[in-house]
Amino acid sequence: MSISNKKSALRQGLLRCHNCGYITTVLSTNTDNTPAAGTLNHCPRCDGELHARLPNSFQRTAALLCSAFILYIPANIFPIMIVTKFGVPEPHTIISGIVALINGGMIPIATLVFIASVLVPLIKMLGLSILLWAVQHRWQRNLRLLTVVYRLIAFVGRWSMLDIFMISILVSIVSSEALEQVLAGPAATAFAAVVVLTMLAANSFDPRLLWDRLGAH
Amino acid sequence: MHNNSMKPLAYEACPQCDLLLNAEAIAVGIKAHCPRCGCLLYRPRHYSIERSFALSLTGLILFIPVNLLPLVGIVVLDNAQDASLWSGVASLYEEGLWGVAALVFLASLFFPFLKIMLSLLISGHLYFRKTHRHLSIWMRTLQHLDEWAMLEVYTLGIIVACVKLASRTELKFGFGLAAFIALLLVIVMLSSSLDEHLFWRRIDALNKSARKKT
Ligand SMILES: [Zn+2]
Ligand SMILES: [Zn+2]
Repeated sequence: MSISNKKSALRQGLLRCHNCGYITTVLSTNTDNTPAAGTLNHCPRCDGELHARLPNSFQRTAALLCSAFILYIPANIFPIMIVTKFGVPEPHTIISGIVALINGGMIPIATLVFIASVLVPLIKMLGLSILLWAVQHRWQRNLRLLTVVYRLIAFVGRWSMLDIFMISILVSIVSSEALEQVLAGPAATAFAAVVVLTMLAANSFDPRLLWDRLGAH
Repeated sequence: MHNNSMKPLAYEACPQCDLLLNAEAIAVGIKAHCPRCGCLLYRPRHYSIERSFALSLTGLILFIPVNLLPLVGIVVLDNAQDASLWSGVASLYEEGLWGVAALVFLASLFFPFLKIMLSLLISGHLYFRKTHRHLSIWMRTLQHLDEWAMLEVYTLGIIVACVKLASRTELKFGFGLAAFIALLLVIVMLSSSLDEHLFWRRIDALNKSARKKT
């Protein structure tokens, strides 16, 4: 596909449906980027609601991200898994679980769990913070790189669920109460919430906000 | 004004940077990227509707053994214990972690099922050129569903759990696991064979012809 002219569609009165990609003409937009009265409110092709940009993108992303940051603390302090061996309960946090894997000589699995449960949530939260900062401060450099960061965040998000799925399997399989029992700990809820909140935050961030500032003044 | 906006414009816009682009026909096997931000714009597929229809039908059949049979099991003191997709959800729920249980249920059972059902309904209607008034809603739902169906992440969870258990006990793998891996492959192939642009064009054409008749 070739460049029509080096401008954004919206600045030329054209609006892309975020469901089906259909292009419609808008006469004008309100300050909150919804089509103004007299223009189409629903896409003529897919009947979905039309928005020039995702509604309240910045505020929604910021609110979801703050909640994720707060829940990240209990997710790491409290035990995510409690292994009871011969009646002695042994709580594991996310970090101590990884340490146990390293001590057990399972380095590749420890690396995998470290990436999915520690690195990915941190990259997501820091990356989204940088993106929000860039929108707020109207950065005009490295926009392509920032968009790549956005794509990375959107792609890796779901892989943090690894720990939760692994625990759900262990909990149901290791339940012989005489020998050994695995229970999910309170951090599991907090960590699952962090994963969902960061995924929702990434979904509500509109990367076009980064490019909208380009050459605006 | 309404008539004018019904006519398709010869433009496309990048979903990630809103750069205005001239719409061009793209050959199968070529990936079109946005020249400004590098976003993947379009990747046409061969026989997208036929493949989606066949794959979603296969997926629906595979869902039966995946739901009924255990995935992995261990033997402790001549006492076999199995884990299935449902038992993981049930154990978390019994423990009182209903939030986590709900999330695992949605990501590993409900959303993959919904994804297969919607793909089957949409591609079936397109294949037999039948119109339905909910076709657009199904397609929009399907697009938003993609990242919440997490069978590939679940597979990695099974692998990590197995490695952890293998050091202590003997594992046994059932037919359920084979069916699960087959379902995973079907879902991954389904995502890659779905040509959204083509689907939307076909849905649009079907809706328009239905409107003409009435
Ligand atoms: Zn649309
Ligand atoms: Zn772009």
